[in-house]
Amino acid sequence: MSLQSHPPETTLSDDGTTAAVCPYCDRPFVTERQRALHVGERHNATEAERRAYEAARDAESDELFRLHLKVIFAVGLLYAASIVGGVVAFSLPG
Amino acid sequence: MSRHPLLRACTTVLALLVSAAPVAAHAGSVGLASRGAPVPSWSVIAAGAAAVGASFLFTSLLTDRQFVERVPRRGWSLPPVAPIFVGVVRWTAVAAVPLVIVAGVIGPDEPVANLLTLVVWIAWWAGYTMTTYVVGNTWPALNPWRTVAPLFPVEPRSLPRRVGSWPSVAGLLALVALEVLSPVTGDPRLLAAAVVGYSLVTVAGAAAFGDAWFDRVDPVARMFALYGRFAPIRRTDAGLHIGLPGAGLARDSTVYDPDDVAFVVALVWVTTFDGLVATAAWERLTDATAAVGVPASAVTLSGLLGGFGCFLGCYWLAARWVRRTAPTYVTTRYLAGWFAPALVPIAAGYHFAHFVGYLTGFAPTIAAVAVDPVSPPASLPVLSPPGWFGALVLLAIIVGHVVAVWVAHARAFDLFAGRVQPIRSQYPFAGVAVCYTTVSLWIVAQPIATGIS
Repeated sequence: MSLQSHPPETTLSDDGTTAAVCPYCDRPFVTERQRALHVGERHNATEAERRAYEAARDAESDELFRLHLKVIFAVGLLYAASIVGGVVAFSLPG
Repeated sequence: MSRHPLLRACTTVLALLVSAAPVAAHAGSVGLASRGAPVPSWSVIAAGAAAVGASFLFTSLLTDRQFVERVPRRGWSLPPVAPIFVGVVRWTAVAAVPLVIVAGVIGPDEPVANLLTLVVWIAWWAGYTMTTYVVGNTWPALNPWRTVAPLFPVEPRSLPRRVGSWPSVAGLLALVALEVLSPVTGDPRLLAAAVVGYSLVTVAGAAAFGDAWFDRVDPVARMFALYGRFAPIRRTDAGLHIGLPGAGLARDSTVYDPDDVAFVVALVWVTTFDGLVATAAWERLTDATAAVGVPASAVTLSGLLGGFGCFLGCYWLAARWVRRTAPTYVTTRYLAGWFAPALVPIAAGYHFAHFVGYLTGFAPTIAAVAVDPVSPPASLPVLSPPGWFGALVLLAIIVGHVVAVWVAHARAFDLFAGRVQPIRSQYPFAGVAVCYTTVSLWIVAQPIATGIS
């Protein structure tokens, strides 16, 4: 066992995409937004990085809202499936 | 989310309801079953899998980073235990080992009337192990072999780094193979020989390699250490600390190496396998293979190793898949090591489910036999657990998985930035958890072929 390393071990994907890299800890990120969020949360961000963080957080909030709509839909579906499954289970003979 | 206090409160309440959801699901189905309307086992299995899936969905609503980070940090410090008390308990344990072995050798042949069998399988393997995850890991203080080993005047050597903790993985699989393949569970003399053998190996190893033996080789000490990370009472640098169960796993800042990941997966697998070999379905399988000339022991051994390989492979594939769902550049090896602590509550839940019935049933038997181990009374008291124990068994498995989902969620927020990426990273593990609940519940729903002996 080893202590958590900062940044964690990373390998870039094989398709040669250039990553967004954190200027403080050199950790590569798949998207620019991931980097902006990481810098804003984990490092002492400059004013420009702070603004990029706020923008990334707003954009993420919209995505999170859509994700949560899907989650609520899935919960509803699971609930309905449980009810139907329960009705079938209890109405089986024997 | 922090801009909408009401929405945040709602998500918190929804997430807290998670732990109530499986209770409702199972109290309903099992309660009705006891009234005489039999519930098909597939519906119980589906309800369990749905409860774990729902717990993942509800957990994904909890995206307040401060809340996720604050919850595992709640707790209080405890006063230290008096050294004199530790010393007395430690040497009592050392004295108890030879006494129990002698009681096993001169006691009756019947395993349920023999003190050694009862102490090893019920009091220690079932009962003591439960205390390591329900209360805290007391094994480093209690371990009689650790107490005795430094008395031998041997110059401690260092265990080679390259062997890592693979010996403990092999040791755990070997112990379980011994348990299920040999008649050691039903033959007190053989069990006495096994305990003596284990004592010799452990004392020799610990004398030669010091504490590294218990950290990297001895599977028993490693198992208790892992369970102890889940327990509410934990030893920290600042002394004893009491907090939420599983919080130690959520806060643990170590990344497990592949050998440690293999040990955690092996722990989950062997607790499952222990249950699997006791089922009537497994007995039918070994009967069928025996008919075509394949010995049952070969089937059991290949099942033990094959199932372990399958579990490890599935976990590793899930970790690899995280790279795509998150998406992230963090390596598969790091991801597998980072999320491995989340598997410990699953193992603990399954252990509880498997052994709580034995422990309750045989607790009065141990008391009766301990009073007179050489000639115990002819009629031994054995409790038959009430019907609601079935619900407790299912509940333990589901609670284990729900806590695992929580631990993984907290660790994902620690590793990834923002709120969407940590949730996305959990899709593969949630899938694996649902599949694993299905398998575990199927096993406990099977009729049991043989009893304890």
